[in-house]
Amino acid sequence: MASDLETTTRRGGARARAARSGVWYPRWYWPSFTAPGLVWLGLFFVLPFFVVLSVAFGTVDPLFRTPLPVYQPWYWDFATFGETLSKFFVGDRIYLSPLVRTLVYVAAASLVCLVIGYAVAYYTARYAGKQRGLILMLLIAPFWISYLMRIYAWQSLLQPDGYINDMVSLLGFERVDWLAGKPITVVLGLVYGYIPFMILPLFGFLDRIDQNLLEAGRDLGASPYRTFRRVTLPLSKPGILAGLVIVSLPMFGDYYTNDLLGSESTSMYGNLLDAAVYEAGRGPEAGSLVLILIVLVMLPMAYYLRETRRSTGGT
Amino acid sequence: MRHPRERSAHPMSRRDFLRRSAGAAITLPSLSAILAACGRPGESGGGGGNGATGATGERVLARPDNPVTLPMNGEPIPTDTPLESGTLRIYNWSEYLYKKVINAFAEQYGVEVELTTFNNMEEGIQKMVAGQVQADVFFPTTDYVSRLVAADLIQPLNHELIPNLEANYWRTFWDPGPWYDLGWRYTVPYTIYTTGVAYRRDRIGDDEAAAAGYEMFFDPTFKGAVSYYDSYRDAIGMMLLRNGVTDPNTEDPAAIDAAKDAILQMINENDARLTINGTYSKLPEGEFSVSQAWSGDIVGAQWYLPKGTSPDVLGYWYPEDNKGLIGNDTITIPRIAESPRLAHEFLNFLLDEEWGFINFRDWNGYQPPMTSIDPERLIAEGVVPESLPRAVVSEEMFAEAYVQGELSAEADKLWLDAWAEIQAGG
Repeated sequence: MASDLETTTRRGGARARAARSGVWYPRWYWPSFTAPGLVWLGLFFVLPFFVVLSVAFGTVDPLFRTPLPVYQPWYWDFATFGETLSKFFVGDRIYLSPLVRTLVYVAAASLVCLVIGYAVAYYTARYAGKQRGLILMLLIAPFWISYLMRIYAWQSLLQPDGYINDMVSLLGFERVDWLAGKPITVVLGLVYGYIPFMILPLFGFLDRIDQNLLEAGRDLGASPYRTFRRVTLPLSKPGILAGLVIVSLPMFGDYYTNDLLGSESTSMYGNLLDAAVYEAGRGPEAGSLVLILIVLVMLPMAYYLRETRRSTGGT
Repeated sequence: MRHPRERSAHPMSRRDFLRRSAGAAITLPSLSAILAACGRPGESGGGGGNGATGATGERVLARPDNPVTLPMNGEPIPTDTPLESGTLRIYNWSEYLYKKVINAFAEQYGVEVELTTFNNMEEGIQKMVAGQVQADVFFPTTDYVSRLVAADLIQPLNHELIPNLEANYWRTFWDPGPWYDLGWRYTVPYTIYTTGVAYRRDRIGDDEAAAAGYEMFFDPTFKGAVSYYDSYRDAIGMMLLRNGVTDPNTEDPAAIDAAKDAILQMINENDARLTINGTYSKLPEGEFSVSQAWSGDIVGAQWYLPKGTSPDVLGYWYPEDNKGLIGNDTITIPRIAESPRLAHEFLNFLLDEEWGFINFRDWNGYQPPMTSIDPERLIAEGVVPESLPRAVVSEEMFAEAYVQGELSAEADKLWLDAWAEIQAGG
């Protein structure tokens, strides 16, 4: 209520100022600024989403079994969707293990990203001083090389006779076939691929924390740890959430990391999708998998929105 | 609820339907098209027949013991059709046609040649059907030929313009013609290949490999060094043979299930990996010791060996009685070809003794079924490494081996479901 009142008066003030300066805008003027965004959303989100629905609830060409989207909702057929859903929870549940794997891998990889990313971002924001520009640039530097090339490099490093195994055996351990469907390889591959997306938003939030607050904490007798826990951590929470959302959402749909570093025994949700798109006759199933994934990723997204609204609206 | 999962008795209206609904536009016309294409609701096709009908009625699934004569959709172009001067547009698999051969054709006929490629048959077909790619020459697999005819997407060939087929190619391909196209009305063969097991001869001997056969995939000695094709028909097809099922087009759920279980066992217990480049690139590099292999892939593998490694390390096993998987690809001329006469000339050019052989020897690795290609000469001249005698395909093999034909929609679903389970990791 209070904030509503505040916005009203503030807006009223703006309008009054505008009136005083003699500039008058028609009612649609400011809302019209959203038009490009709305057109963008319509063209590149609403329309494609409708096409996905039409494919998922559509049919396949009787001859070539290519997907035939059905654009009339009254003709939609939900049989394939139901069948796809049942592959997760009924009978052989052949899709359940990729789903569980995906949840576990994404959770593990996001957590590792957070731990490493937080340390790096914290150091860069607080202690890097003049070097922070350099550090940030170095963090982005790998992006100058295509992801595919970097993963190919990892492939050769991780081979049974690659450098990683040379080091492993030098340390007296047995050589490991990292690329033979090892969950840890896939998780670390995900971490490697997405960690910059964690560091950058975290850095942004940590950098903005007012030094005076930290000094105040110390002045009031808090230990460095306590200052971190009571001041820095809560203030960086939006950054943590943003980072987690930014890295975990694409991880849910990631298939190439496992394609290149794992095997069928580590296949993830994205691999199911990729396979369904790839083979003739499974178009509607691919569409259904997309819809199920959307529902799945909406859960962390909803939590994020709720949290950010609370933290911005609460003050 | 009524819905448009339906086949049409009229290919024309079905095609219109496709054309209108394939794009992303939400239009009312597609509603009328759907209604027009909509006869009976519900499931597709019944019995052994496929779910679609051709212009002359029920389409049958071609098999060597049940060869088909495809219906004629109109007449081939007349022999005196003038040569077009425009661009010849070729739509082919990527890395499947030697650029030098294309250039030679372009120079000889004074035309431009434009090559567009696809990475898998589904992509190729999808873009052809949707009209996204307009081509004069198209390279489909045999299991799509009858469907392409039913949808009137390819045109009949004028045999007078392609004399090289009868002059240079194995008789089985023109008299009476291949099982999928008797009288070669719509297709000429491109390359032939068997599907066997490639192995590193420095890690397993020839005799040992011959004794093990398909069991090489399960040999724990090769744990983590086994590659299998990421292609459902070839993957499940070979495992069926290994399990003693002699029909690689089986519709028997139990047989498909058993093949699926075997592949999963290979993946989970022997760390086998599903790949496409396992044979031609990773086996010669040493990453794999055993891999499922198309004969053309293992012949091409010699070009991927690390410097200083002899081609002798490459081995290829194919059942001694020739009862393995065999196949061939085809060349066709799409209905919408703008330069059909030039396309005929190109087909004839590829069937030329010299250019067909250059395409095979210098680039492709996949053998054309030419009478002038003497298997012994291939080895003697070093076209095929001495260690790969079984990778040479001979005419006799076709009499014994098994081909992979088109599956009915129901059977295809069984195969795809089994494959989905394999990809999900079991």
